[in-house]
Amino acid sequence: MSYTRDMIEGLRIRLGESRPLPPPKVATSIVASPKQIFPKPRVDNGFSEEAAKHTTALVGIGNVGTRYATDVVLQFQAELAVAHEAVAKVLPDDWGKDNGYLSVQSRVENHREFLLRPDLGRRLNESSLDLIKTHTKKNIQIQPILADGLSAVACMGSGLSLLTHFIHGCEAKGLTVGTPIVAKYARVWLSDEIGECVNAKVAVILLGERPGLGTGDGLSAYMVYNPKIGNTDGQRNMISNIHERGMIPEEAAERLVMLAEAMLKQKTSGVDLALEGELGAAAGGGYREPQVREKLVGERS
Amino acid sequence: MNLSSIIRNQRYEFTSLKEVLAKSNGPKSGDDQAGISAESAVERVAARAVLADTLISEVRNHPVIPYGDDELTRIVEDDLHDGSYQAIQHLTLGGFREWLLETTTTGSDIRSISRGLTPEMVAGVTKLMSNMDLMTVSAKAEVVVRANNTLGLAGRLSSRLQPNHPTDDINGILYSLKEGLCYGCGDAVIGVNPATDTAESTAAILRALNSVTSRNSIPTQNCVLSHVTVQMQALDLDCPMDLMFQSLSGTEKGNKAFGISVSLMDEAADKMKKLGSTKGPNQMYFETGQGSELSSAAHHGADQVTLEARCYGFARRYDPFLVNTVVGFIGPEYLEDGQQITRAGLEDHFMGKLLGLPMGCDACFTYHADMSQNELENLKVLLGVAGCTYLMSMPVGDDIMLNYQSTSYHDVSSVRSLTGKKATPEFDAWLSHMDIWEDGKPGGRYGDPSVIR
Amino acid sequence: MILEPIYPKILSMRVLPHAHDDILRSYGADPKKHAALGLITCDQDDPTFVALDEATKNANVDVVFARSFYAGAGHSSGRLSGEVLGVIAAENPDEIEEGMQAMRRCLEHDACFYTADASGSIAVFPHIISSLGTYLSKEAGLSLGDSMAYLVAPPIEATVAFDAALKAADVELAKLFTPPTETNFAAAWLSGSLSDCQAAAEAFARIVVEVGNQPFG
Repeated sequence: MSYTRDMIEGLRIRLGESRPLPPPKVATSIVASPKQIFPKPRVDNGFSEEAAKHTTALVGIGNVGTRYATDVVLQFQAELAVAHEAVAKVLPDDWGKDNGYLSVQSRVENHREFLLRPDLGRRLNESSLDLIKTHTKKNIQIQPILADGLSAVACMGSGLSLLTHFIHGCEAKGLTVGTPIVAKYARVWLSDEIGECVNAKVAVILLGERPGLGTGDGLSAYMVYNPKIGNTDGQRNMISNIHERGMIPEEAAERLVMLAEAMLKQKTSGVDLALEGELGAAAGGGYREPQVREKLVGERS
Repeated sequence: MNLSSIIRNQRYEFTSLKEVLAKSNGPKSGDDQAGISAESAVERVAARAVLADTLISEVRNHPVIPYGDDELTRIVEDDLHDGSYQAIQHLTLGGFREWLLETTTTGSDIRSISRGLTPEMVAGVTKLMSNMDLMTVSAKAEVVVRANNTLGLAGRLSSRLQPNHPTDDINGILYSLKEGLCYGCGDAVIGVNPATDTAESTAAILRALNSVTSRNSIPTQNCVLSHVTVQMQALDLDCPMDLMFQSLSGTEKGNKAFGISVSLMDEAADKMKKLGSTKGPNQMYFETGQGSELSSAAHHGADQVTLEARCYGFARRYDPFLVNTVVGFIGPEYLEDGQQITRAGLEDHFMGKLLGLPMGCDACFTYHADMSQNELENLKVLLGVAGCTYLMSMPVGDDIMLNYQSTSYHDVSSVRSLTGKKATPEFDAWLSHMDIWEDGKPGGRYGDPSVIR
Repeated sequence: MILEPIYPKILSMRVLPHAHDDILRSYGADPKKHAALGLITCDQDDPTFVALDEATKNANVDVVFARSFYAGAGHSSGRLSGEVLGVIAAENPDEIEEGMQAMRRCLEHDACFYTADASGSIAVFPHIISSLGTYLSKEAGLSLGDSMAYLVAPPIEATVAFDAALKAADVELAKLFTPPTETNFAAAWLSGSLSDCQAAAEAFARIVVEVGNQPFG
């Protein structure tokens, strides 16, 4: 701004000059717009198609300046939204009961507390402890537990199928199976307290995995011999990535039964469990299909 | 040592320096979980008031785990550089903060006293600093290291290229690698987290990476992030290993849970010196992250920032080429949301730099943490401005194997453009030769993976 | 038609990114502190002095040289000379560049002479500076950030109008350049609050116009 120009403008009027003060030069000139504008066309050199045969990573996606094209942004946001939705989903209180199972809950009282306090998710609340003491079979070989873990979506999805296949598999092998339990706000170690309480030889907990981008339906299964409070992760065996597009529930159940038998036979689990031959493959480390990336925005091609 | 302070006529008493350090820490869900954080915002400031008046010499005499109980405390104490320590021991932590922030205090001034600092001193001063304080000091604390290229020079921002694959499919890894290279990424390291932790698989991936970097004459380093014992076996398989990797914890007990110790790492570094394929003197790569000690019940009642600083005290023993915090990977039970992850990223970067490490940061979140994509982008820019040595990079920032959200190839270019920074000099010359990146902007072959043979 | 702006014309602008120490010293710069010089010539000297001062507010530069040429732009030594040479000095050419931009802005949008009579043969410079930079504050013996009225007109008009300006507002005379200056004008620097400087400048401009109309009272 110019104080001098302001003053001169006023003085011109007072001295009888009728025309306004001519404007100063414009600070920045705006160029005339072109008739139409277009973004640069994207070049498809076949890289993304070739890559897709080997990886689900989003490659060959091109760029606008140093950023993503709009369709890439939307796909990515949709995948993120799906993952966040899976995490936010809470297992309904009556879901276990509605499906005919004994329902229990950890000491966690709400979803935020569940995320922030793993210690509370590892222990049963008082009423659940009473329920287990009074309403379950004791002194059994296998205690099955289905739980929400970090994805209630996975629990309610493939969870039931995995649980039933596993129970049938154990029974077919002549193993004694305890009362199936559905646990809410549960962490892996909750199976120690439940297993100890019912005096099981082996406790199995099937629970939702931490969701990945675009997915939220993966389950993991953790199994421990001689469950008791204070067991460490080194004493457990686990199978992950159980869902319809990864390891299917039937196959996972089969592997879990093999593992359970081995634990009962060797009377141990985790790092001390000898995993030879077929059992080695069953305990994970086998080939895992990469998860196929689905187009989430617009109609599927 | 005085352990009390007065705020608005109320006296706050603390029982130990460890408690003061914990209570003066910015809010972290991991400290809440451990039950050691301040009970109120005012108590937090009261603890900081105590900390500000605590002498550096007193901090040295009160490590959060005693000398007799922890080998990391011992190596820090035994290797402390006396001359550097004498220069600062008379200062209070508050005074030390002010010295760091003075414009007359240069990066080389900071380097000159760095070896006289213990992790507890560095963690202490961190708690007295705001985010912008941390950035101001970090930006001038330059740490330059050399392997196959030169990392950490002023005006440079590097990146780890992370072409992970859930089944270690070599072709899948190489597709992601080529894509990253044509966006100018990978000058800090091309580093793969393997799905299978075996020596054979480690060697196979290293050979595959090396075939691309040598065919295209790319001045960088390759690394496969299997367990250090597995990499030691892989070295015997005669594979080209430029950097040796290991995750570190800030306590002896925590490292035990990781399956390592000081003597094991000494042995590993020795073996790497003999058999590694790096040209320069810096050959090790370490990752850390706030909260890992608590997750293995090895925190000794200390807060996660102090324990993180102790990781760096361990790391500096090996003059590493790379150290980065994987700041949001561990989950919301340690860093709850965007604010805590952002703060931790800036803290870790600052602490590493102060202890003389070429500090990078994996700015990231898991999908159950309360952080948005935009907040994560903000953090990457803050780190760029703060002089962070390197960021990660992977396709759209999505790690398809580890299932978390980090930095993308595009993000690295964007932060370089926004901050006017370049790749390492050797790599930058290669990018310019390949017409990928020139004069601070994309070149003709930018984003075109067919440029890589 | 009176009080039409007479826009100053910048005739040249050159940067010496790394000037010889002897040149630095000869033009009043300090080789220990300065390396780069920025040169400007213009056909109006007083607006240029204001612009030089403006540069010190926008960039880390010092005004080391500012001299008018004898007898004004109408009698200059060449087409690039105009009536003034200004020199700014800085540690590096980037600062000089910033300073040059600030000068250009000032000369294109703010500081200029105005016509004081219909024929355009009388010019007046009733300029108000809200906040002084390092250069003019030092020259005028005022403080950095002070407001100042920078008043210039031909000898007789100026003398009458200075008197009116000093009486029109609560201002003090910082410096008065009686005629003849190099360009044969008279100039005065008055200090006071911003509004007093405005009132003084307005009174000055009005009286210069009036003397032009009524040379014999």
